[in-house]
Amino acid sequence: MGRYTGGWLLIRMPDMSNEREDPALQSARREAWVVFAIWLLAMTYTIGYCSRYGYGREASDLKFVLGFPDWVFFGIVCPWVFCSVISLWFGATYMQDEDLGEELPEQEDELGLGG
Amino acid sequence: METAMLRWGSVGFPVWAVKTTQPADWGTLVALVIFIVASMWIGWLANKAMQKSSFMQGFFLGNRGLGAWALALTATVQSGGTFMGFPSLVYSHGWVVALWICSYMVVPITGFGILGKRLAQLSRRTGAITVPDLFRARFNSPMLGLLASLLIMFYMSFMMVAQFKAGAVVMKHSWPGAGSREMAEDVPMYKLSTSGFEKLADRGVSDEVVVQLRPLEDRGFDAEKDLRAEVGKLLGEEGLKKYGDAVVGAAEQLDWQYLVGLGVFTLTVVSYTLLGGFLAAVWTDLFQSVLMLLGVLLLLVLVVTASGGPEHATQMAVERLGPTYAQGPGYDPTGTGRMFMPVSLAFSFFWVWVYSGVGSPAGMVRIMAGKGTEVIRKSIYLLAGYNLLIYLPLVVICICGRALIPDLPAGKTDSIIPELSIKTTSHLPGGSIIAGLILAAPFGAVMATVSSYLVVIASGLVRDVYQRFINPTAGTHELRRLSYLTMIGIGVIAILANIRPVAYLQVIVVFSGTGAAATFCMPAIMLAYWRRATVAGMVSAMLSGAGTMVVLYILGSRGFGSQTIGAASAFRPFYLLGVDPLLWGLLVSAVTGVIVSLLTTPPPAETITKLFDAELPAKKVPA
Repeated sequence: MGRYTGGWLLIRMPDMSNEREDPALQSARREAWVVFAIWLLAMTYTIGYCSRYGYGREASDLKFVLGFPDWVFFGIVCPWVFCSVISLWFGATYMQDEDLGEELPEQEDELGLGG
Repeated sequence: METAMLRWGSVGFPVWAVKTTQPADWGTLVALVIFIVASMWIGWLANKAMQKSSFMQGFFLGNRGLGAWALALTATVQSGGTFMGFPSLVYSHGWVVALWICSYMVVPITGFGILGKRLAQLSRRTGAITVPDLFRARFNSPMLGLLASLLIMFYMSFMMVAQFKAGAVVMKHSWPGAGSREMAEDVPMYKLSTSGFEKLADRGVSDEVVVQLRPLEDRGFDAEKDLRAEVGKLLGEEGLKKYGDAVVGAAEQLDWQYLVGLGVFTLTVVSYTLLGGFLAAVWTDLFQSVLMLLGVLLLLVLVVTASGGPEHATQMAVERLGPTYAQGPGYDPTGTGRMFMPVSLAFSFFWVWVYSGVGSPAGMVRIMAGKGTEVIRKSIYLLAGYNLLIYLPLVVICICGRALIPDLPAGKTDSIIPELSIKTTSHLPGGSIIAGLILAAPFGAVMATVSSYLVVIASGLVRDVYQRFINPTAGTHELRRLSYLTMIGIGVIAILANIRPVAYLQVIVVFSGTGAAATFCMPAIMLAYWRRATVAGMVSAMLSGAGTMVVLYILGSRGFGSQTIGAASAFRPFYLLGVDPLLWGLLVSAVTGVIVSLLTTPPPAETITKLFDAELPAKKVPA
């Protein structure tokens, strides 16, 4: 657990062992990656679909689905409903409850770290 | 009533000619008074609730007692402007605005899922009650805490001052017979409305000159020089000299009704926030969010029925305005070739709303105030349902609004929701009150936003500056008194700032919102998940994110880049490669934070262990 002595090119992580990593941190990190992937997929699909079908159309080409222009329905309404279902799945089943630990009393110096 | 119901059954055809616009009468004012009384009551309830714990944690963090509904509906929907400027954009530019707002489909899951659990955990382990507290404790650096606090107060001050102005203007316009129903944060300093032209006649300006000035009707100007320049174009140098002062006086929006509105608004919002602190801010936010949802759903039924549905409304709009109303980059009401939403900006906004939510200090502090992970989990799907029910219906309402009110002039599109509310409820029993409640909801949103900012700024001054650096041994009584004095002081400053508001305030507000995200988003992610992050890395990430935004705004304001996208304002950003400055701010902040952290001495292992590793089980003592 000594001081970091490596040069700046040596990208290593001394003292950064995660063998005893907090389970709440592990689940939070895993869930954050899943969320990031969902955001990336939603963005790729929506922007991809809408840029392909939502620009440069002739007025005569325009079709409607349930009152929405077709590109809005398939490019925005459908993924929005899908993301809402995914959010329900994520919040109701995938995300784990964790014990967040005892709260440090407010007047105590945080962690005894000074300041 | 029977007739009306029969007509409502015929969706799909233009069946119902809506009555002529009627004034809001007393309905709006009554609804506002109800809102004010309800807010004071909420403040009193919050005051009772927070007495259960120490003052600081109760007043600034609500005893970490937020439930799922309160967290869901208040942590990421931060500004009343979401509902105030947005309808005007849909009305003006058409369906492409659905693309502008659509990243709200993932805002619930990103807003709570990326940082929620970890922020809640770290704030408990460190005893932090503010975001700067968290940075300070995580990195054991009072200097970093102070920097975070100063940056947060800088950004929030701009946003809050603008909200005071919006609240004052809504109050002014709710006065019976005010004749205007605009509900926007972006309120121009000068505008020649119908009453302004009457004032011109009163000031002795001849009919001939008034006719020459007609092109200025309902056009808003942020600065006096802009208005004078336009008058000069219409009347020439001589005319400007002769009539300039009269026109400026008649166009002045800041009259006694505005000042009374400003006073009443400030008194109300500071009073209930003083009473109930953080909880009062959150509960009024929850109250207005629920009312807003009910208002939008009611308006959806009324407007869709009256207009014959969105398909019919779109076809009518396309016939009149052209195909851009139904597709990207959107209809350009100015006819000058501006592109509201090119694909590059659509791509940008999928980042802007998402990471503005993740990196918002006011949002982070609410997550820290949640009861636990169960509340965070539930908030994700509650907010997902809420967003689905409010944003797409608002788009449909405003598209249908184009069919019902096809020709709102450019300066009056902010009043589309109030106009629709009054038109579609005028035939209903108690229609004036129903319309008033729909109109009052944005007022509630503004109040909730202001009280939230008041709490964050006061906590920054009292907790992060005074208690940390000036008087660490300050007792509860002193901290309480100082918190109250700070809030009253902020109220006084906000009033003074709004008597002569700075020009281009709305663009500065956009800069502040995205600037805060560029400053705090990446540092917060590193704080939560990266053991190797260092104080120097965090300082450089914050300053480089903020600096990137400042540089791009300076370049944009000096004329760099395309002038055909984004805000038409003298203070504007440079859209490098056509994307929003926030993306560059986030990128630079992330790269700088990682590189500087790797180049500097790692944090002490004992600090990291306490915050990243599982606590060792206590040894069992033999019986």
